[in-house]
Amino acid sequence: MAWAPGAQAIERLRRAAVATRDLVVHTDATRWEVFAKASTTRELIFEPTPPVQVSVVHETGVAVRTVCRGEAGFGAASGIDSDAARVAVGAAQASRTLMPFDPLPPSRLLGTTDTTVSRTLPPSGWAAHAAEKLTHGIVEAADRRLLVRRIVFHEGEYGRLLATGEGFVATHQDATISVLVEMAHRDRQDMTCYEWIWVPDPNIFDADRIARQMCDRALLMRNSITTRSGLFDVLFHPEISAHLLGALAPAFLPCSEDKDPIPKLVDRNGQLAAQALTLVDDASMSDCPSNAPCDGEGLPLRRHLLLENGVPRHRLTSRLEAQLFDEPTRGGARRLSYRDYPRAGISALRVVPDPGIPAAELLRGAGRSLYALRLMAPVSMNLLKDEFRLLTSGVWLDKGVVEGFQPVVELRGALSHLLHRIDAVGADLGWHQTPAGFVAAPTTFVRCLKVVGR
Amino acid sequence: MKNEGKENVFDGYWLDELATWCQHGKEEDTGFEDLYLERRLELRLHSGHGIRRLEECRTEGAAARWRTPGRLEIEAATGISPRTIARLFQDRFDARDLRLQRPLPSPELDVPRGWREEAETLIDLCSPTEMTIHLLLRRAVVVRPENWHEIRAPLLVRIETGLQEGTTLLTTWNHPPLQELAPLIMTRASHRSWHPQSDNAVPVLFSKGTTGVLVHELVGHLLEGDLLASGASPLAQLNSQAVSTSNLHVIDDPTRFDLPGAFSCDDEGVPAQAVTLLEDGAVRGALCDRFSAAVLDREPGRGRRASWNAPPVPRLSNLVVPPGSTPPEDLEADIRNGLCVTRISGASVDPGAARLVIRVEQGWEIRHGRRRRPLSPCEITGTVDGVLSAIDGSIGNDPLPDRHLGWCMKGGFPLPTGSEAPSILVHTMEVL
Repeated sequence: MAWAPGAQAIERLRRAAVATRDLVVHTDATRWEVFAKASTTRELIFEPTPPVQVSVVHETGVAVRTVCRGEAGFGAASGIDSDAARVAVGAAQASRTLMPFDPLPPSRLLGTTDTTVSRTLPPSGWAAHAAEKLTHGIVEAADRRLLVRRIVFHEGEYGRLLATGEGFVATHQDATISVLVEMAHRDRQDMTCYEWIWVPDPNIFDADRIARQMCDRALLMRNSITTRSGLFDVLFHPEISAHLLGALAPAFLPCSEDKDPIPKLVDRNGQLAAQALTLVDDASMSDCPSNAPCDGEGLPLRRHLLLENGVPRHRLTSRLEAQLFDEPTRGGARRLSYRDYPRAGISALRVVPDPGIPAAELLRGAGRSLYALRLMAPVSMNLLKDEFRLLTSGVWLDKGVVEGFQPVVELRGALSHLLHRIDAVGADLGWHQTPAGFVAAPTTFVRCLKVVGR
Repeated sequence: MKNEGKENVFDGYWLDELATWCQHGKEEDTGFEDLYLERRLELRLHSGHGIRRLEECRTEGAAARWRTPGRLEIEAATGISPRTIARLFQDRFDARDLRLQRPLPSPELDVPRGWREEAETLIDLCSPTEMTIHLLLRRAVVVRPENWHEIRAPLLVRIETGLQEGTTLLTTWNHPPLQELAPLIMTRASHRSWHPQSDNAVPVLFSKGTTGVLVHELVGHLLEGDLLASGASPLAQLNSQAVSTSNLHVIDDPTRFDLPGAFSCDDEGVPAQAVTLLEDGAVRGALCDRFSAAVLDREPGRGRRASWNAPPVPRLSNLVVPPGSTPPEDLEADIRNGLCVTRISGASVDPGAARLVIRVEQGWEIRHGRRRRPLSPCEITGTVDGVLSAIDGSIGNDPLPDRHLGWCMKGGFPLPTGSEAPSILVHTMEVL
């Protein structure tokens, strides 16, 4: 029997759903939902000297939500055999608690989907070949000034199924590949840089181009140290922009009125941010690392417009949160894994550049400014207190010419000022992993921020 | 064979048979290391916005490890059935030999009766907007050629409140009883707080319950076998050398079952034993898994797995700093112009740069030995050797477990760890 999701995966998940159904229908549950998932992930770690470290994980699991006479329960169990179904149904029944409303979406809101195989994994051996080319590319592009310490390839393939007691079934299969490279400067080995990229298609993996891209940022750190403080224009590297927007994501989730940060952050015109910023959450498109036809509860996925030219528009909600906070059910529920209850969260947050300015033009056009390159600590943001704090490293630019490297710089102040001073966004949209989820962000130009050099 | 358990959640006879069968892997020179079987139970009680919701999650998984000169491999799969295990071995050696009987049905993992009532009482006491209480129970077995070891770990309680300005606590069940955690959850930061001037080098008093984090980063991580073996740790070449005050002793003790990092055996089947890391301020021990122990010629016993699907790596368990004889008030009274840290929200150490950063969540400005103004959240930093050598010889007499930071991240994998330490004064650290 195949381990990997592959061709038989959906059929196995269907059998798990049927086994679960057969058990649930013999309980007193009036409504129910079963979510089953099978995944295989392969992680390969290449270092300059052997051994290669390989980790292969085959994971399957079932989660069940039941509703019965004002009570609701959630249970999850590993496996997709009949034992797993029995344990998950038993856990869902045992965890029933009073619920003033039905947390499952009504069937009229659910979409209909068929299995889609968007992407598949490359054959084994591809990662070793790609790692070799990437190492060579980085050493060449950096003119031997950088060392590659480690390359980690992460390849994942998964299939999932969602079925309800009303006969709705949605299935989906996909695969994703990413690469993490750890580099160090040959003459300053304490200066370590990490670069993460998502590989949309292994068949067109251009190792030389990716190597050049990875070296660019690392090599900027080699400039002589310059320390400045004061009010400066700041350009955020796409990775920092992504982390900033990821930290802002809770503003687009449902919450009680007293915990809602948006009224505290918008100006008198209702602008949360400058007009240059438009944000959407859209996992329905194939150009993102985790696309899907429906959200974690079966609602059709669509383009959620969160911020339109700086004005907040919609929030992402799960059915439970929508009812708790009196919001419309839009289909923004995310399951972190089969073990987790579906909750509102970003799936694929992206900036809409419309059309965006080429990053090189942004860098050249800026006067004396800080180009913030790398986060030195997680973004600290308090939405309710309207505060943010960033510790980054960066380079000082003047009309695109590098004046010096600043190892640690602190950016701190009112979050609303930061958001309202976004002057332009670049066209160099790239996907980045953030604690909130995947975010596609470009280089961002922000006017007049307080910069404290260290 | 080793079987210390009283309430086995694995069938001992079946494990005996499995261990004998694993001997094939050794005989056939396949590089077989061990087989790890794990069962977990997680219960979550959410409370918020007028509703309470319970979730129950049960997982099982198995992982086999192989080591050849060119390749370290771990293959893991959901489930612990003979069929799952046979599949893990199928391409390595002849799994047809695995004619094991099915194990006896094992009892379900369970948590103490009445836990929910106690959890709900805590929620009622704190009445937060949002709160989640997790109960986490893990039982595991490591099967090696011809022997197996059952791993027991304490029942963990993790409490999270709110998204912004929330609190996270990690403790073991009944240490202390849940209701006694209420004051820790309800403590709020002062609004009239003061941010210390950046780049200032000041003395910092780590009060009881926060010192553990400092020592965790400063000593614990930097004496982990993988960092020592690769030479990346700044303490790598300092064995037996004094790095701090002679009054400082640091022990990593997994046998302390009142702290979250406890275990009966590590995840490579080595029985738990305390390791002295610093003795009289000098580096003595190291935290090694089997691989780094072989490289460094040390004892293994700290190979820990974040989950059944993660490989074991050298990690800390519970760091304990024995108390000194100085009352904490005396330490505070000696500070002319400095900081007192009462709660830490995060900390990290960069072995390459030999620098640690501590994110202070709560604390006080100290002027002439008195607490003057509450601190606003800030970061303090210092070099590893600088901070170690700046630790004052007077160690507090007030050891206390740190319950705010128990979940340690390394390489993206979280693990429960514990600490108990008294107040410690560091003569100089920089404010970031």
